[in-house]
Amino acid sequence: MKSVIWSRYKRELAAAVAYLALLVAVGAVAPSFYSAANLRDLLVNNAPVLIVATGMTMVIIVREIDISVGSQFAVCSVVAGLLAKAGAPIPLLIPALIAVGAAMGALNGWLIGRLRIPSIIATLAMYVAWRDALRWATQGAWVQGLPDDFQWFGLGQSRGQWLIVAAAIALLVFFAWALRNLRAGRALYAVGSQREAARLLGLNPSALVFGVFTLMGALVGLAALLNAVRFATVPSNAGTGLELKAIASVVVGGTAISGGRGTLIGTLIGTALLGTTGTALTFAGINPFWEKAMQGAIILVALISEVALGRLTHEPR
Amino acid sequence: MPIKTEGSWRARLFPNNEWALVLVIAVECAIFGATGRNFLTAANGFEVARLGVELGLIAFALTPIIITGGIDLSVGSMMALAAVVLGGLWRDGHWPLPAAVLAALGVGLAGGGLNALLIARFRFPPLIVTLGTFSLFRGIAEGLTRGIENYSGFDPRFLFWGQGYVGGLIPTQLFVLVSVFLFYAHLVHRTAFGRSLRAIGFSAEGARYAGIRVARQLACLYVLSGFVSALAAIIYVAHLGQAKSDAGTGYELMAITSVVIGGTSIFGGHGTIWGTALGLFAIVILQNGLRLSGQPAELAGVLTGALLIATILIDRVVRRPKAPQVAQMNAEENTEVRNSQIAVLSIVILLAALIVAGSNWFLINSLRRELRSATGERATAGPAAHRTVIAMMPKAKGDPYFISCKQGADEAARELGVELLWDGPTELDPAKQNEVVEAWITRGVDAIAVSVENRVGISTVLRKARERGIKVLTWDADAERDARDFFVNQATPQGIGYTLTDEAARILGGRGEFAIITASLSAANQNEWIKYIKERLAQKYPDLKLVAIQPSEGDRDRAFAETQTVLKVYPNVRLIMAIAAPAVPGAAEAVKQAGRRDVKVIGLSLPSMCRTYIHEGIIESIVLWNTRDLGYLTVYAAQAAATGRLKRGDRQLEAGRLGRVEVADDEVRLGAPFIFNRENIDRFDF
Repeated sequence: MKSVIWSRYKRELAAAVAYLALLVAVGAVAPSFYSAANLRDLLVNNAPVLIVATGMTMVIIVREIDISVGSQFAVCSVVAGLLAKAGAPIPLLIPALIAVGAAMGALNGWLIGRLRIPSIIATLAMYVAWRDALRWATQGAWVQGLPDDFQWFGLGQSRGQWLIVAAAIALLVFFAWALRNLRAGRALYAVGSQREAARLLGLNPSALVFGVFTLMGALVGLAALLNAVRFATVPSNAGTGLELKAIASVVVGGTAISGGRGTLIGTLIGTALLGTTGTALTFAGINPFWEKAMQGAIILVALISEVALGRLTHEPR
Repeated sequence: MPIKTEGSWRARLFPNNEWALVLVIAVECAIFGATGRNFLTAANGFEVARLGVELGLIAFALTPIIITGGIDLSVGSMMALAAVVLGGLWRDGHWPLPAAVLAALGVGLAGGGLNALLIARFRFPPLIVTLGTFSLFRGIAEGLTRGIENYSGFDPRFLFWGQGYVGGLIPTQLFVLVSVFLFYAHLVHRTAFGRSLRAIGFSAEGARYAGIRVARQLACLYVLSGFVSALAAIIYVAHLGQAKSDAGTGYELMAITSVVIGGTSIFGGHGTIWGTALGLFAIVILQNGLRLSGQPAELAGVLTGALLIATILIDRVVRRPKAPQVAQMNAEENTEVRNSQIAVLSIVILLAALIVAGSNWFLINSLRRELRSATGERATAGPAAHRTVIAMMPKAKGDPYFISCKQGADEAARELGVELLWDGPTELDPAKQNEVVEAWITRGVDAIAVSVENRVGISTVLRKARERGIKVLTWDADAERDARDFFVNQATPQGIGYTLTDEAARILGGRGEFAIITASLSAANQNEWIKYIKERLAQKYPDLKLVAIQPSEGDRDRAFAETQTVLKVYPNVRLIMAIAAPAVPGAAEAVKQAGRRDVKVIGLSLPSMCRTYIHEGIIESIVLWNTRDLGYLTVYAAQAAATGRLKRGDRQLEAGRLGRVEVADDEVRLGAPFIFNRENIDRFDF
């Protein structure tokens, strides 16, 4: 039994070990890292990334990729700001932003699922197009002068913070359950492993891919809103580099880039690992100049640790 | 079988429907030839080619990798690492330049070797490995230089490789591009090695059973890609005259875009080097053409995206696969290049280049104009009713600071009735600044005003503009003195650094700890300010202690998170000094949410972004000048210089609503930096 868990969740465990090592090391150097305030801030800051990474996990499981999430995130942030400024009731922003995100995601899904354009290309195109279109439309201006109840949905700081974290965790738990137990969830793994075989089994890969990208967009819209309400203004360049952050988190968490394999627990660990590194380095007093090198090293170490921990015999590449 | 071997020349030449790109390039040329000024000239053709060199080298290296179904995201970061190794060994290690160049190439081989080891030997997915080395290489480059070092002052003979012209017209680095192109074209299309790459792309496992040494071949490609990235870095350094850890940022995505537009399948199995070349030029011509016809540069992104999808769709429609796998196999089998075809292919490439460079009516015309302008006459000397054209460049178009400068510039342009071109990089990017100036020289303008990101790199091209009779001004940040006619000076780095430090000392009462939130660690301006802040601290405030400098990458949210961490790690910090416009509100929000009423924020930002925080008492003060006036004054000075109203040695300049402005030798002075605080903030609406 133990060996089953070991061989099935080896990658997740490797990431968990790396994360534990980081936590122990930081704890030894700077115990103040474990203050309640710091842990809360880490949770709140990384919650939007976690939501995006949740969607990204499903995209990668079905053997696709989405590079456009950072640009979609920026567009959604600005839309949230503009809607609030135009006087839309704040609670209404939630369905509105989910819809806006889902629409952008559906465009990706249509290009990829229906027209069969490779996802890396379609989303690369959207990555450039959305970012530049937004720059053109806003000319770089921030959305300012938002109504007072925009920040934290008017709930106040502490309740707002927990709402954001709770939303991220609830989504993660829900989708983790769905991937295991729902027909559609299992179908993602099937399509990701062998699209043609899945089709012959009676699944509809095109529709599924369309659905996954729409869902991804909806999650991005929600994440952008939850991120935006942490502040009183909306910048026009939000989410730069978010795509790489999300993909790296997913992959470090053990999801196979070749599709068909991955868990959201792994993604949670991956997001935590990459989201903590920067803060941990500052606590440990390491010069920020080395931060990027560390991030890269962590990704590679997470890979190599798998070898060190004993390589699988017939792992698909 | 969808594609016949005999008689289908199209299928042989363009196995992946690259003809669509020739069409695209032709359409681009037709449109920009009609709308863009001086687009269809030989000089511009070569300029376009020059702009594509670094990107092209990387794209060629990526093509065979993508053909095998792999990818290399680390190429741009490799450029940065190779560039700083080159600069560091040469300047600090006192190596002779050729040795440093060899060492940089060696670093490229080593970096490529690391990728190769992990991908070919340990069989990790290329996407993840190179995502890791993407961070790792740039991280090492930043760590080695602490982000600050900017190596410049290279030997002119070295710079010739990036800036010179052979025979007065052909940019030197074009020869490098062509050699690498020929090398890769030969490797991919003329050797057994190249053929086996496709087999690997279709099925690595199958290829292995067929006796192909997959691991060794893949290793070769990744090592080569590291090497070529280093080569691109050397050209880049010679082109800009500087080596810095931000070299090649974002090149990986641009290069992948060119490869994919060029018809190479991202899943592996097929693709051509000339397709990549065509894809590259389709993008570069698009950017150049938009600039020359005065269209917003942001359009380039939208159109590139559309182009990507359109080329794939054309491919889909034309190919119409019933059973895609089989169709591809057959196409592959039939479209392999024959010995006799290489000549035809070269002709096609030449043709594409010729469309750009000179196969047009204006060739002779433009050459004549070149000669004339070389003898001092202005290229655009039009009829008497000519409306003055002033081209003005910010460091980054999206930056709110520069947007408020633009408002002032627009106002002045309206008052003076001049045509104002406002263009620049969308994000901080020294190489892009050079491109834009080149485009303006080609287009022909009366005055150029640049906010300089990279002092050394841009000076060469500014001198070139001056030689063509264009008045050159710098504003906001200066270039080398002999590269421009006037500098519109709003504040010296020394003034900014000292004012900020004095303000910090005043608030802290002369003693205590403070931290700085900067832009990116390699941002030139910020590093200059920090230098003077430290100088002032040492001179005057021994009891003030700077405990940390954290990066914000120009991202408000990142500044927020960094400030949160700083407040916890250094509980004695009583002041945060944020020295990038978006970082100040980010830092203020962090202080506010942490409930630390004992911590004050100061910095360099726009009043409009900080107004509420200043009223709440979180931001004590911000240091800036009137950005709108800066833009306004720059246009006035540029117009005056272009029409001869402003000459060296003048004591003052009449500048519209600003009245008489002081001119000292070659500097137009806006005045000292200004401190905005709770008392005066509401008087300013920018």
